[in-house]
Amino acid sequence: MSSTTTSKRFNLFEWIKTITFYEILVGMKATLSHLLNYRPVTLQYPHEKRTLPDNYRGMLALLRYDDGTEKCVGCDLCEAACPSRVIRVVSAEVPNEPTKRYSKEYYMDMTRCLFCGMCVDACPVDALGMTREFEWAVYDKRQLHLNKQQLLAIGDRSFPIREKRLELQHPNVAFFNVAFKHVPPKPD
Amino acid sequence: MTEFGLRLAISLTQIAAVMGIVVVTVLILTLAERKVLGWMQDRMGPMEVGPYGILQPFADAIKLFFKEDIVPAGANKLLFTAAPILCLIPAFIGFAVIPWGPSWTINVNGVIVKPFVISDINIGILYILAFASLGAYGIILGGWASNSKYSLLGGLRSAAQIISYELNVGLSIVGVLILTGSLSLVKITDAQEGWFWDWFLFKMPAPQILAFVVYVISSVAETNRVPFDLPEAESELVAGFFTEYSGLRFAFFFLAEYANMVLVSCVAAALFLGGWHGPYPGTLMELVGLGSWSWIESTMWFAVKTYFFLFLFFWLRATLPRLRYDQLMRFGWKVLLPIALGNIVVTALAVFFFGT
Repeated sequence: MSSTTTSKRFNLFEWIKTITFYEILVGMKATLSHLLNYRPVTLQYPHEKRTLPDNYRGMLALLRYDDGTEKCVGCDLCEAACPSRVIRVVSAEVPNEPTKRYSKEYYMDMTRCLFCGMCVDACPVDALGMTREFEWAVYDKRQLHLNKQQLLAIGDRSFPIREKRLELQHPNVAFFNVAFKHVPPKPD
Repeated sequence: MTEFGLRLAISLTQIAAVMGIVVVTVLILTLAERKVLGWMQDRMGPMEVGPYGILQPFADAIKLFFKEDIVPAGANKLLFTAAPILCLIPAFIGFAVIPWGPSWTINVNGVIVKPFVISDINIGILYILAFASLGAYGIILGGWASNSKYSLLGGLRSAAQIISYELNVGLSIVGVLILTGSLSLVKITDAQEGWFWDWFLFKMPAPQILAFVVYVISSVAETNRVPFDLPEAESELVAGFFTEYSGLRFAFFFLAEYANMVLVSCVAAALFLGGWHGPYPGTLMELVGLGSWSWIESTMWFAVKTYFFLFLFFWLRATLPRLRYDQLMRFGWKVLLPIALGNIVVTALAVFFFGT
């Protein structure tokens, strides 16, 4: 049994394994055991959806205070923070309130967004939020160029519980939209 | 004229019944393959169309039927059209000599009819081999006529592979033919009556176990199934010889592949596993006193054996990766061919010295 071939020694045990297709039979046993202990890992996606993690970063949205006014103060920090230049803000003064600013126009090109969440981190007044929406496949990609009204609508349907205005939460919290003594307060 | 008309009517009825059974089997197979493959890989397979996806074959058929029929620019239109038909007809025509049930004869108005085989010709197995080889023309012509390099490569590979493995199929069958002394599939099946050790797989004096293994491997290669699916290797050749085909012509190729699988499974069951004979002599139906219904049990045994082979095809597909081309050729010519030839010699000597 110790005859040698050109490269390796003849091994009777290995030879018997080869001619009886031992390795193939081991593989077939493995596949058959998967068939008999059938435990699929598939999630039937449109019918059943996975539980999202708590910090899931989905569709972006603009938020409002509980009195319906927009949180956004038009500071452009989100635009500066965005790595893929998704956001475009047109800032303007609030009419009749020269110390306050707001975003006159607010555009998001969601075709470019990579959902990093940097705009949300950058926002000083928590005006941006990441919702748990992820099914945003559309037939026309122009539908992913969102304006302010659309972003506010997303925020309205995803965040039904709204915060109070900053000046009503704590006197030291507000940095931007602080109420000034010489400006008459808004009707509550 | 009336007798001719009667024979024609009976034959057409039998042909329609067998074609119906084969097409239904192919429909079941397309679903079963995806399901079994999915289950073996911890997936679910098709689940959308109908409950648990059981209507998927019909959805596929409708899709293929209504798809646009594209003929590539520069293709040879005549051969491009003829190739799927050349592939499909040999796959279906082989079923004419397969015995599905007991070899009874029925007398219909003076015409002797064998109800479970369309035509019991005395060269049955040779006829099947001949037409199986013709099927290779469909593949080669389809690959050539498409005017595409992937198709051509698939067709060339298929030509070499089918020629190599046809030989092994033919030689592995010779042992059975020596034991029977006939080429007729009905006679071969009848010779295996009795207990399961009377099947040619185990039958003394020359058990055909090696021939059986050679036949199964070669038939997997002949039907271009994994692990011998080099002609349609999707990771190298897009889809091989039917890359350029779409719609109904693609469906023809698809149908031919599955019909070929059913055919080689039927032949394997008939040659080595006793055909429609159960693993015990006689039938249970006769014991209960329902002798005229025993054909149901016989055809059930045939179906069980055939479906076992079809399951084996799926099982191998779920387990094995594709062979390299030189491995394929070396295995066919340097391993299987000597085994098949040696089996012929051993069987012939055993039958000569110990045969009845």
